Amino acid sequence: MKNPMRRRIWREIKGETGKYVVIFIFMLAIIGVASGFFVADISLEDAYDNSFEKYNIEDGNFEVAQVPGDDVIKSIEEENKLTLYNNFYSMQPSVHGSHIRFFADRKEVNKVCVLEGKLPQSSGEVALDRLYMKSNELELDGDVEIDGKEYKIVGIVALPDYSALYENNTDFMFDTEKFGVGIASQEDYEKFCEMNIHYSYSWKYDKAPADRLGKEAVDRATELSKALTQKVQLLDYIPGCNNQAINFAGNDVGHDQIMMMVMLYMLIVIIAFVFAVTTGNTIVKEANVIGTLRASGFTKGELIRHYMAAPIIVLIVACIVGNILGYTVFKDFMASAYLGSYSFVSYSTVWSPKAFIYTTVIPMVLLSLINFIMLAHKLSLSPLKFLRRDLKRKQRKKAFKLNTKIGIMKRFRLRVVFQNIPGYITIFAGIFFSSVILMFCLLFNPLLDQLSEDTVNNMIAQHQYVLKAPVPTQNEKAEKYAVTALETTGKDFTEEISVYGFIPSSRYFHEKLGGGKAVISNAYADKYSLEEGDKITLKDKYTEKEYEFTVGGVYTYPSTLAVFTGIDDFNEMFDKEEGSFTGYLCSEEIDDIDQKLVAAHITKDDLTKTSRQLKRSMGSMMTAFIFIGVAVIILVVFMLAKVIIEKNSQSISMTKILGYNKREIGGIYIHTTTIVTLVSIVACLPITSFALDKIWRVMMMQYSGWIAPDIPISAYLTTVAIASASYVVTALCLKKRINKIPLDEALKNVE
Amino acid sequence: MFIEISGIKKSFGSGESRADVLKGIDIGIEKGEFCVLLGPSGSGKSTLLNIIGGIDSADEGYISINGEKTADMNEKALTLYRRKHLGYIFQMYNLIPNLNIKENVEVGAYLSDSPLDVDDILKTLGLYEHRHKLPNQLSGGQQQRTAIGRAIVKNPDILLCDEPTGALDYNTSKEILQLIETVNQKYGSTVIMVTHNDAIKNMADRVVKLRDGVIRKNYTNDTKVKAADLDW
Repeated sequence: MKNPMRRRIWREIKGETGKYVVIFIFMLAIIGVASGFFVADISLEDAYDNSFEKYNIEDGNFEVAQVPGDDVIKSIEEENKLTLYNNFYSMQPSVHGSHIRFFADRKEVNKVCVLEGKLPQSSGEVALDRLYMKSNELELDGDVEIDGKEYKIVGIVALPDYSALYENNTDFMFDTEKFGVGIASQEDYEKFCEMNIHYSYSWKYDKAPADRLGKEAVDRATELSKALTQKVQLLDYIPGCNNQAINFAGNDVGHDQIMMMVMLYMLIVIIAFVFAVTTGNTIVKEANVIGTLRASGFTKGELIRHYMAAPIIVLIVACIVGNILGYTVFKDFMASAYLGSYSFVSYSTVWSPKAFIYTTVIPMVLLSLINFIMLAHKLSLSPLKFLRRDLKRKQRKKAFKLNTKIGIMKRFRLRVVFQNIPGYITIFAGIFFSSVILMFCLLFNPLLDQLSEDTVNNMIAQHQYVLKAPVPTQNEKAEKYAVTALETTGKDFTEEISVYGFIPSSRYFHEKLGGGKAVISNAYADKYSLEEGDKITLKDKYTEKEYEFTVGGVYTYPSTLAVFTGIDDFNEMFDKEEGSFTGYLCSEEIDDIDQKLVAAHITKDDLTKTSRQLKRSMGSMMTAFIFIGVAVIILVVFMLAKVIIEKNSQSISMTKILGYNKREIGGIYIHTTTIVTLVSIVACLPITSFALDKIWRVMMMQYSGWIAPDIPISAYLTTVAIASASYVVTALCLKKRINKIPLDEALKNVE
Repeated sequence: MFIEISGIKKSFGSGESRADVLKGIDIGIEKGEFCVLLGPSGSGKSTLLNIIGGIDSADEGYISINGEKTADMNEKALTLYRRKHLGYIFQMYNLIPNLNIKENVEVGAYLSDSPLDVDDILKTLGLYEHRHKLPNQLSGGQQQRTAIGRAIVKNPDILLCDEPTGALDYNTSKEILQLIETVNQKYGSTVIMVTHNDAIKNMADRVVKLRDGVIRKNYTNDTKVKAADLDW
């Protein structure tokens, strides 16, 4: 015989439609979004991973000042067991002050993925990167201005070695609006190269290391760089394992999976606790029935399974529908978030068991486990205790004493608080979690704006030139300086640190240097918690040679992790001749230098591109997360406050009979929750701020560069405002529920 | 002896607030007997019933049912014992509010390997035409009849009734008592009923009077009357 109790499961769901519908929609949304995210993420990851073979992505590239002879190329290939491919390019100015890196069609290595249209066949035609086109509002079959001349866009492409549009490998962030890649027809390409050309070579090992990012790959890259310096004059050297333009998108996809998983499971845990509290309330309500069933011989296991059934059914349905929505609707939405940041090659949906496990199996196990533990604990009381409705493990001998000088209404409210402490703790936890989400989203844009502002306000010079060769200028405002890049010496993670050398009494750098003194940027000091007197060791990324500095001060320079020294100390340290320099600092554009000899011209736009790109790629995601935060607050507070009202329905009914009006009753039951919620919102601010600071720091340690987690006051105020407004919606619903409680409720089942 | 109750002692609390509820109870009940535990409030009769039912434990003494001591059973075995052998009826009917009358009886049937026919029981109890109603659509007497149906449908060896008429009016109480009498006679269940209604002793085979945790009287009733003829 089937257990007849099963029939009441559906009735339980129907009887508590509001509760289950709210939870169902919430679960559906988070599982749908998570499922869509994982499917998109895994599909893109799969396309990315396969692109290495499909498009024959290089194992690395380097740029030289002069084209080496065939014999040199042959010797490099033979001695290092690799093949070199000509991958010359030309940088051309285009719309909105951007630059496009033009290549000829690539037939052997880094093959072009044509997403739409075709490759250019004749002069006047170009094919451009999809994301660059989107950022600059360019369209297929439309025109684009390149170096003052109109070209027709005949194709939308993705270059597999530019899945993240990094202009320089040393950039903290790419900027899809200011930098793009494209393919020109052979004729135009040659014309472009006449204006400027970068002699870039890609290499493919004859037998590539098994792990392209592993130790073997790093070791081989180090050996190769040493070998190349013997043969050619290197301007740039980017092994595949260090190439941000190739690796960044793949790494980010992996990182985001972890972030989404953490968020999903935190939400599931909160839902599980909401279920636990509401189911706990059902157990209290049905204590006498449970006692009778246990006395009649129903086992604890049967009752646990029975009370777990409804939430599990709701979860299963939410998982099924959520997965369907994930694979259909949300997948494209989530993929578009990635495609708004990265230039991925074309992808197709991968039906991944991993996504199913992450979004369905693990949430179900988590929810079941938390509910099981709670139910096993609650139902472990003896049948007699249930029959007597005596569900407290420790019987309080006396009522908690409250000062009688406190007015009766206040005492009443305090009693409600003490009676519902577990519910209020869960409300606090829910508000904390929502506050973390809300504040994270709210601080994101102001933080980036602040970074931009600070960067602009603290620029060393409006124009910073890095030269390929030391050439003179007549500009009187120009000041020589030297710069090079070293690396940190961490085991698992290294990042680039710029080392500058400034002349004594520099008009652009306002701190006295020289005599071996090294000053670091505040970004560097903040990220690595460095103070004056600390010793830092950096290494040359090609030769592994180590350099030691003693921090002699901290200089406000928030955009870059940098060490500043006197130019003489710089030249001595890096074995340069006295008087050597690598570029100019200037408050205005220098117009008497041959552009072919300029390796980089760094302006305000370059230094603020991190902020712009992060806002562009993450902005919509942050808005979506704000809605999740609001939903969590409404769900948690509503569900738990509803439990408190249900628990007290007889008392509420009795107060109505006694003649208390709606305002007074609301004052006892709703205002209590209001006070707890508002106190929780405010009390969560410092805890959230502390937690966010830690989370941010841990998160930023995975990336190159630094954005200081200075939470603006506006983020605090907006968090409080949004959380409070969310609660107002909840309070109105609760008020309606209280008004609905009938007068005869107090007369029912009073034992 | 089918049920042997020997030297049962039970107290609640400790120190000054300690209350000795049962101070050494010895009773023997034969199979199929209708036994009434009679006594005023606080006499310990419900506590004794709960100990017999295995939902409470004695501090001292033992209860043996068909030779098996309940004190030797762990929680799992006790649950199985209640599942297989006991039927419980309470003063407050404790029906499941969102199951209809038939389904509430089926909840009892589910526990038994050889339950009685649910429809037959409903007909016997006069509930058949109400079988699709929810408990709150029935009167107190009908709800208690449903509770009896739930208890007897699994054909228990022992039917434990804790003040089954305590919440009912005179006529409904008599109806319920007649039903329990029928169950006792028709199915041969041993019935142990706790009550403070002195009149009910007249329908019992055995009467045990308790006061302050001790047995004041324990006798077999030679002048047993039918439930229908009871008056109070």
